[in-house]
Parts: sequence; structure tokens; C-alpha cells
Amino acid sequence: MVPIIMHGDGLTTRVTLLSLGNILLKGIIFPWLLLRLRAHAPYHREVEPFIGFTTSTLFGIPALALSVWLGLRMTPALKQAPSVMLDLSIFLIFVGLFLIVSRRKALMQVIGYLVVENGIFVFGVITVIGTPLLVELGVLLDAFVAIFVMGIALYHINREFGSMDVDQLSALRG
Amino acid sequence: MFADQSIIAMLVLPAFGAALCLALSQSRHVLTTIVGVSAVEMVLAVNVWTAVLGGKGFVTAAGRWFYIDAFSAFHIIVLVLVFVLSSAFAGVYFTNASSDQAFTLTIARRFGALWLGSLTAMTLVLVSNNLGIMWVGMEATTLLTAFLISLYPNRLSLEAMWKYLIICSIGIAFAFMGTLLAAASIQAGSSGDAALFWTNLASAGTHVDPTLMKFAFIFVLVGYGTKAGLAPIHSWLPDAHSQAPTPVSAMFSGFLLNTALYCIMRFVPPARHALGEHFASGLLIFFGTLSILVAAGFIVFQRDAKRLLAYHSVEHLGIIALGFGLGPLGAFAALFHTFNHSVCKSLAFFAVGRLGQDYGSHEMHAISGALRADRLWGTALLGSFLALIGVAPFSIFMSEYQLLRAAVSAGAWLPMALFLAAGGVVFVAALRHLIGMAFGAPATSVRIAGDGRVAFLIVWLAMGLLLLLGLWMPLFFSRAIESAAAIVAGQP
Repeated sequence: MVPIIMHGDGLTTRVTLLSLGNILLKGIIFPWLLLRLRAHAPYHREVEPFIGFTTSTLFGIPALALSVWLGLRMTPALKQAPSVMLDLSIFLIFVGLFLIVSRRKALMQVIGYLVVENGIFVFGVITVIGTPLLVELGVLLDAFVAIFVMGIALYHINREFGSMDVDQLSALRG
Repeated sequence: MFADQSIIAMLVLPAFGAALCLALSQSRHVLTTIVGVSAVEMVLAVNVWTAVLGGKGFVTAAGRWFYIDAFSAFHIIVLVLVFVLSSAFAGVYFTNASSDQAFTLTIARRFGALWLGSLTAMTLVLVSNNLGIMWVGMEATTLLTAFLISLYPNRLSLEAMWKYLIICSIGIAFAFMGTLLAAASIQAGSSGDAALFWTNLASAGTHVDPTLMKFAFIFVLVGYGTKAGLAPIHSWLPDAHSQAPTPVSAMFSGFLLNTALYCIMRFVPPARHALGEHFASGLLIFFGTLSILVAAGFIVFQRDAKRLLAYHSVEHLGIIALGFGLGPLGAFAALFHTFNHSVCKSLAFFAVGRLGQDYGSHEMHAISGALRADRLWGTALLGSFLALIGVAPFSIFMSEYQLLRAAVSAGAWLPMALFLAAGGVVFVAALRHLIGMAFGAPATSVRIAGDGRVAFLIVWLAMGLLLLLGLWMPLFFSRAIESAAAIVAGQP
């Protein structure tokens, strides 16, 4: 929806196409892929993350402060970008990174990657007005293939290790 | 002649070859196909290279979406050379594969398609004029090469592949953020398709916002730096290099890392333009020196030969980044070093990979007396390791020496001292590892399968290049490097 809100000049084909592509990909295809993956997994939800849920919520406070500070640093140069969305997009990136390092299940790392990707997408839409269509389509395609590849990788890992816990992936060091 | 058509052909041919590999009915034919495609790619690359050097200094195709100047042409030559050598070696390697790693038709098809697919993606990165398309190509290399690491899925290779996939995807996502910021930084002056063209970004007439460019360069350096294996974000690299099949390790080390560094260097001219001489080069010197130091520390304690080579890659990529930070002389040394390192590291991986098959292990204590056990690959091991640590007649010695001269003329005394100290540590440590592997009595369990003419050609072609360039540099070659260096570092 963000592209439609941002571009004041109404519904051009380009903007509609991109929004529809995004809704289709991130609203329908990704959840479907991830749910299918979860059906293969021998567990249903994250029970013992590396960092507990309360601590995780508390992590949000410094992350938000940091993103507001970074947003303020960038605002003078990005006049056309709404500042709330700027802060939000940076905050999303932090949350995604936090999800990746703090959760035990590999599936959560994929979701963390998606959150980072979303943050960057919002950031791109509000800061850069004239990205060529070809580039945007390429980026969408890459996100799609990335999730697909991660899905296949997880399938193999699950078959080999009998679980999708990332703390089992620790044989290679040094 | 037909330089612009050659660019298109360089993209279409490997993509077509990748599809062809999926349809072949014998694993032997896949190996022939990848060598054939790489060889034709070599002819096309040389054609483009001569057109760039002989003509206006650049070649474009498809509007201005593809743009090759001396800098990218030089990288394309190195890329294709690494691919020709590695593809030929893949034939030698996979025909000698042990029974638990049999090169079945399924695996052969997957290998061929992904191998040529990554060649396509890397070519796309190098020929693209648009920073967005360059990013798409870079992300494609990550996704395509991930399954090359776990070509034989087992616990270790899957672990390495998963780390590679996650760490590099995040890194590349950061690079995308940097690309967006770079695009935002020039919004005032231009619009539309041209906004992301680096030819436009680097031209003097464009107004670039300094704050945004600063953010952009940092994001790009960290993002692509992850893929280039710069310390401290190199953690995926030794795992991936050690677990991948050897031709893949050689390709990773020989060129994938350089592709990422190439992307960083494309952002240097606009950064210098907007932020002055010292911002970008200071960061490059810092990360380069840090990589050299970190790698030197890990090299001392390695037990696995392929991990040892992986840390050597971190060291040498650090040296190249350091060189790019040291002005025009340094950029010359860095580009020369890129060529030397790619050839030498491919050869070193070939030797370790083949000997690993002979001895049934990549552990360095298991490999002994390689010179007597396997004349050809033992010699290759000795030669490539000596070259790698910078022994005199080989060309890596020459490029490191030029780098020192650049450091002196730039007055960068601290990085120079650290580079020399780390180089000394690496020299002693790697020499100790090497003596254990090359000399002494061969282990009893070793099974030697003599390799044919192809292996002989690969070894002596690579060794010959390293020796020749160490003793004498042809004029056209140094001219080519000079004009490439001028693009990223300005006129000397």
C-alpha cells in the first residue's frame, strides 16, 4: 500500500503493478510457503528462544530510540520522506536483525530476513522516487527466490538433522 | 569488432548453457559443456577487452544499461580465466571422486546448471551500468552458489550453506540499503532510469548530497564487504570454502569475493566526488588492514588445508582493499594483485583438492610427502603455496612489493607496518604447514591415480602465468591495469 500512498499523482499502472505484486508475494505466497515448511517441521512454535520474550520486548525501546536518532540524522537530506515512516523502516530493520540472532528455530531466521527486507522496501519506497521498474521487479524476484531457496535449504536441513534448531549447526569453527 | 553484441552474447551464452546442462543425459557431457562455454566466453571477453582498450575506453550495449570500461573489462578477464581453469579442473576432480561422493547424473546436472548460472550472474554484475541491476546480480550469485556448497548434502555442508545463505543475504540486503541511499543522494539533479547509473553518479556534473552519500558508502562497504569476506564480517567464508567441492571453492576464492569488492569500488568515485579524498580510502585502508591481521591470526592455528586457504583469501582480499585505499599507485598494485591472487588461489585449491582425494582427507597432518607421492599436484601445491606467501620470483611478490611502494609514497606508515608484520607471521606459519605437507615420506594409505594431459596443462598454465608476470610484465598488460586503476583512483 505504501507506494500508492506515497505517489500523490494517482494510480499509474506502474504503482498499481508494484503494489499488486507485493501484496501477492508477501501477503499470499510467502505465508503459504512458510506454512508448508512448518507442516514438515516436528514442532509448532518457538518455545525456548535464546533471549526470552520479556527481554525481547524490552530490546524494542533502545532500538526505537536508535532508529529515531538515525532518522533525525537523515531527515535534513530527505525532505520528501515522512519522518514517521523513515523511523519505522529503520526500526523494522533492527527488529529483523534481532529476530535472526535471538531465536533458535531456523524458520524464525527466515522470518527475520523477511522483516529486514520489508524495512528496506519501505525505506526505498519513501526515499527514492524514480527507481526504474526493471530494478524494482528484479528486487521482488530476488526476494521471492531467496525465500524459495531458504525453504529448500531448510527442507534439507530438517531431513539431515531431524530438526530445524540452529544451535545444532555449530560443528564448524575456528 | 562487434563488441556490443559480444556483451549480450556473454550473458546469453552461459544462461543457455545452464539450461542445456539440465537436459544432458551423461555426466561426462556436462563437464565438456562447462569447459566449452567458458572457453567461448573467454574469446568474447578478450574481444570486448581489446575494444575497450583500443577504442574510446568504454563499450556500451542495450541503451546504456550495459557499460564496460577498463576497470570492469579487467575484472571480466580475470573472472573468465578463473572459470576456464576451474571448469577444466572440475573434469579432473569429479572423474576422480570417491565412491561416497559419486558424480551421478543428477548431481552433474545440478552442478552444471548452477555453475554456469553463477557465471551468468557474475557477468551481469560486471557488465551492468545500473547499480540496482548490479545488486540483483550479486544477490543471484548468493542464491545460485548456495547449493553448490551443499552439492553433496551432509551435516557439515548444510551447516556451511545455511550460514552462507543467511549471513550473505543480510549483507546483500544492507548493500541494497546503501544503493537506495546513493540513489536518494542525487535525486535533486536527475530522474528516471539514469538515477542509478554509476556513470551518472560518478560524473562531475551531478550534485551528490554528502550526508546521504556517507551513509550510502558505509552501508555498501559493510553489505558487499560481507560477501567479499572482509574482517570482521568474514565468518561464513572459511566454512563455505572448506565444505564446498574443490572447483567451487576455487571459484569462490578466485572470483566471487572479487566481484563483491568490485561492487564496493564502483561506489568509490562518487564517494570521493562528494566527500573528498580521504573518507572512502580511509575506510578501505582500515578494513583491509583489519582483514590482514585477523586472517594472519587464524592462519597460525589452522589444521584443515582448505580452511587455511580460505583464511589466505581473507588476507589477500584485505591486501587488495588496502591497495585500493592507497591512491593511484596502490590501485595499480591492487589490480595486479587481484589477477595474481585469483590465478594462484585457484591453483592452490586445485592442488589441495586433488591431494585431498589422494589422501582421503584435507587435514594437513594427514597429507605428507606430497611431492614424492604425486609429482604433478605435489609440485602445484609447493609452487602455489610459495607464490601465495610472497616468495620472490612469483608475481604475488611483485604486486605486494608495488603495494609497499604505494604505501610509502602515500605516507601510510602504520598500515604498512601492520601489513609487513602480519605478512611475516603468515609467511612463517604457512611455510611450516607447507613443509609438513610437501616433504617427508608419503603416508602408506595414499592412493594415486595419475592424471592426464588436462591436469598437466592446468598446472603449468597457471604456474607459467605466475612466473612470467613475476619476471616480466608485458606492456599491454600494464597499460590495461593503468587505465583500470585510473578509473577508481583518479589520474596519477
